[in-house]
Amino acid sequence: MRRFAPWLLVGVLILIAGALAESSWRRVRPSIPEIGRKELEPTLGQGVLLGVLGGLRTVVADFAWIRSYVFWERRDRPGCEAFMRTACTLDPHARYFWENAGLRIGLDMAHWEIRRRGGYAKVPTETQERLFRQYGRRGVDVLEEGMAHARHRTALLLAAGFLAEGKLKDFTLAANYYRQAADAADAPWYAARFCADFDWNAGRKLEAYRWYRDYWLTRMRPRMDGSPDDLARLREMEKELKISLLERIPRQSWER
Amino acid sequence: MKDSLRRTLWISRVTFLEAVRQRFFAFLLVLSAAMVLSSVSLRVFDFGHGELKFIADFGFGGMFFFGSVLAVVMTAQLFFSEIDNKTALTLLAKPLSRPEFLLGKFFGAWAVLGVFVLVLASLQGVVLWAREQELIAAAEQAGRIPTTFSIVGLCQLVLLQWLRLGVVIAIVLAISALARTFLFTVVVGSLAVVAGQLQWIAQDAFLRPTDSPAYAAFLWISTRLIPNLQQFNLADALVLGSSAVEEGALIAVCLSGLAYLAAYLTLGSLIFRQREI
Amino acid sequence: MNSAISVRHLTKDFRIGIRGLKLRAVDDLSLEIPRGQVYGLLGPNGCGKSTTLKVVLGLVSATAGEISILGEPSATSAARRRTGFLPEAPYFHKFLTGRELVRYCAQLSGVAASDLDAAVEDALGLAAMKEAAGRPIGTYSKGMLQRIGFAQAVVHDPELIILDEPTAGVDPVGSASIGRMIHAMRDKGKTVVLCSHLLGQVEQVCDRVAIMDRGKLVLEGAVEDVLSRRDRHVMTIEAMTPAARSAAEAALEAHGAKITSVTHPRRSLEDLFRELVTGSRDA
Repeated sequence: MRRFAPWLLVGVLILIAGALAESSWRRVRPSIPEIGRKELEPTLGQGVLLGVLGGLRTVVADFAWIRSYVFWERRDRPGCEAFMRTACTLDPHARYFWENAGLRIGLDMAHWEIRRRGGYAKVPTETQERLFRQYGRRGVDVLEEGMAHARHRTALLLAAGFLAEGKLKDFTLAANYYRQAADAADAPWYAARFCADFDWNAGRKLEAYRWYRDYWLTRMRPRMDGSPDDLARLREMEKELKISLLERIPRQSWER
Repeated sequence: MKDSLRRTLWISRVTFLEAVRQRFFAFLLVLSAAMVLSSVSLRVFDFGHGELKFIADFGFGGMFFFGSVLAVVMTAQLFFSEIDNKTALTLLAKPLSRPEFLLGKFFGAWAVLGVFVLVLASLQGVVLWAREQELIAAAEQAGRIPTTFSIVGLCQLVLLQWLRLGVVIAIVLAISALARTFLFTVVVGSLAVVAGQLQWIAQDAFLRPTDSPAYAAFLWISTRLIPNLQQFNLADALVLGSSAVEEGALIAVCLSGLAYLAAYLTLGSLIFRQREI
Repeated sequence: MNSAISVRHLTKDFRIGIRGLKLRAVDDLSLEIPRGQVYGLLGPNGCGKSTTLKVVLGLVSATAGEISILGEPSATSAARRRTGFLPEAPYFHKFLTGRELVRYCAQLSGVAASDLDAAVEDALGLAAMKEAAGRPIGTYSKGMLQRIGFAQAVVHDPELIILDEPTAGVDPVGSASIGRMIHAMRDKGKTVVLCSHLLGQVEQVCDRVAIMDRGKLVLEGAVEDVLSRRDRHVMTIEAMTPAARSAAEAALEAHGAKITSVTHPRRSLEDLFRELVTGSRDA
């Protein structure tokens, strides 16, 4: 028995270490979002493996992105998508990869597919429309996925709004994305205007006006110039909706 | 006990001296340092990660990769140079026990890796700090929130990386104690590092319910035998604050690392005691 | 307990190849090496003498048999504390100086810090290595390597010194120097075990010898006893003429004795070499 005691000790030590590692892994796992993603499987090449194994993820992600350009130029959809996915997976915090992957899929790939099927003259318009919607939807999905990981969501929301309007022709959805973008701290000046216009175009005119008005009063008026263009658009809306004078935005001193 | 510690210390001291005088160590250190420094000029290849992240990833990537290579190859070389040149015969004929010899080798190699990690991390810190200052100035002018890095996080990462390399050294020494050739040790040691880096797959699978008892048993054994080396790779979270690290999680990681270290050193000592020199 | 080393029924098998074929290196060897003598363990290459020494030092485990060193079971730390060992063709860390190496070995052998400097200098002096002790070992010649190896083996003032092929590859001057060191050790009352196949040297320095062949002990005894032929005599005669030789032969024949050969005495080549290069140092 004494002969086996040291080996027993090793076994016990390994068991303790294993149990501790299991507990510590549960606790640190959420801090390493890059690993364990299904998207990696199609391109699990040497370079990617190297990246997954430790640092260098950003570098490998960059090279994967550069590589995706080669396939983009060849209009090779599977290759381009695979490398874009790899880049997004290796560095999910980078907004750039998600935004451009979503836009490439949503904007370019339907055209590639139409060319592959014989060109615009040969493919019926309905099929073309269906393809634009199909790839637009996929682009939006990629952008949605990116929003869950990337640190800066605003650009992704704007891109999703752009695709929802341009490719899906879904104005309510587009307005929804632009509304979220407008609510962000780093919202660009046009997000609120787009949101209101798309809601307006979707037939939700009163809701569009009310939201835009609140937004202008709380976030635009306090600005140095008071956003006169937005106020001008609001005045047009008030006119069209026949809002009573008392309910309209009070006249501003600087307003013409 | 005091004598034993003294002997272990002497072996580790000579091991350290031998290792730092090797061209291989100097070569990898210079290569990694060049990688850290070049990250500043290579940031033109960055696609919007945020420059600090790119610089940090480049430097920590070098530390991780070359550190692993150094831990596997140098440890095996330090062990087999003693065996093949028969210096081990001279040493083990003295009142020096085999566990003391192995521990001496471990601490010597670990100290070398400590120097390696410390030099690179210091360099990385300086590079990150210099770029951070430029970015802060630019962000202030543009009215944006600047990106920053954490010195405390960098220190924590240095400790974690050093511990990870310590676990690798302990594994390689256990393999060396069993192996007959340097090449075999390097190959199996490298595979062990890869297995350790991918152990989380088994760990994740183990945490999910399964119907197969055999599969569950396989996962149970593999998750205990192979250390999870992925849990030490917290560079983004610690240094750049990309995600939060749960309170006490670092201590848990360190404890599990130390437990693996002790387990593999004990295993190595036991195997080495049986070895005929 | 007068034995420095006591080996009883030692057998050592090595397993070779994947199939684990058994190779018997030492076969039921029993030896008693007395204290205070220079003991030569002889035999051709592969006869098992180095394996025997390794088993004695605990570097290799015995398949069967019992071994004790100075009354202690072999392979214990206590036994090794009183033993010094110089392996065959020693190789030391090239970046250390000779003095650093001897100091390192003294530390490992448990020499007290207060005695360390004196012990290191004594050992270097005994090995005639004081002058070169500050140089890195990488710059040493073969003979100097052996001498520094000897110094590291004796730095902790062991009672038993085991030397495995101490003069292999060393020139006769260096070899004679090592011989002197061995004698110095014996004069201090130490036991020296010498493992070699250079018979001339063993004959010069050893008190007792054991000869091994194919893992077995074939002869053991005092050098004087095993080499002397009591039924033969050698006379050295100066200025002998043919007439004197005939007269001597006749006189001896009258007493029933017979001269079987007459030759001129020869110096050994080693003696001649040492005489010609006298004073040269192996540096």
